Amino acid sequence: MKALTLVGITLSSGVIAGIILAFLNLGIVEPTIDKAIALEVQKQVSAGENVNMSELIDYRYWQKAGAFAGGAIYGAGLAALFGVIFVFARNKLPGKNNKQKAMFLAGIMWFVLFLMVALKYPANPPAVGDPDTIYYRETLYIGYIMISGLAALGMSVIWIKTRINSKKIIIPLMYAAIMVTAYVIMPPNPDKIEISMDLIQTFRVLTAITIGVFWGILGIMFGSLWDKFLSKEQTLAAKLY
Amino acid sequence: MDKLSYNLYTPKPTHTEMSITTKQSTVKAFDSLPVAIGFLIAVLVFTMFLVGYDQGQLFSVVEGQSAYDTMWIHELTHDMRHAAGFPCH
Repeated sequence: MKALTLVGITLSSGVIAGIILAFLNLGIVEPTIDKAIALEVQKQVSAGENVNMSELIDYRYWQKAGAFAGGAIYGAGLAALFGVIFVFARNKLPGKNNKQKAMFLAGIMWFVLFLMVALKYPANPPAVGDPDTIYYRETLYIGYIMISGLAALGMSVIWIKTRINSKKIIIPLMYAAIMVTAYVIMPPNPDKIEISMDLIQTFRVLTAITIGVFWGILGIMFGSLWDKFLSKEQTLAAKLY
Repeated sequence: MDKLSYNLYTPKPTHTEMSITTKQSTVKAFDSLPVAIGFLIAVLVFTMFLVGYDQGQLFSVVEGQSAYDTMWIHELTHDMRHAAGFPCH
């Protein structure tokens, strides 16, 4: 297989999907981030702190521009994982063509790596996180992603290896059992929420949508590029099962 | 043709031709699936560190302790970090 082509289509589809995500966020998610920062500033002013507003405005422009670089980096990273899984899983993914297979995998990855994790540790806008707990929260978050991701990977292997008829029910139930156990065992986010829950819920719903759109675009882009450049190539999958 | 004649009359590859051959073999060495997969996994780890976790660690290598106060990477990826669901301050 053309490995360099695989790297090329993987990273380019990720970067493009990430930049589109940044554009979407600019229109859809940024207003809630701005509102949360305004509340944060209001709180600082009420506490008697000096806030340099012109510096803050310049800073926000820089952060909003940085979101495009952040989107490209985020997209490239998740696409890298997507590309590796697709190479191994392509022959077993449902779908008539590579676009459908890639879309299916993208949907699964959004569900496993974002939505399931968000149920336990949902996204928060600025004005919520405590800097003193950042490393603890990062550990919890990556731990939960690893649990969900590895559980899904394990279930996929069992799905491929077993030939029982009722696996369509049993295997999702096994994944659900692992995630319910993890949900109960893993400690909660330690930070207290002191701003409007309406704003936070709006932020969470909007980010779940835009990240879902990101995964959809990544799947379409990757599947189309695979069809164009790699459709005749054999993958490792043939050797695996 | 004996060996001496072969050496005398067979045209030697020019510098350009040797360079192309070297480039092709270099490309071939990297064009293997295990190398590509290893590279993509490295990209995954590095990019997730940048977007989701860096609190000044990367620039502290050159900038020293002050990188933990300026947190350039954190601030650059700040809005995407929030929007992607990663913990932030």
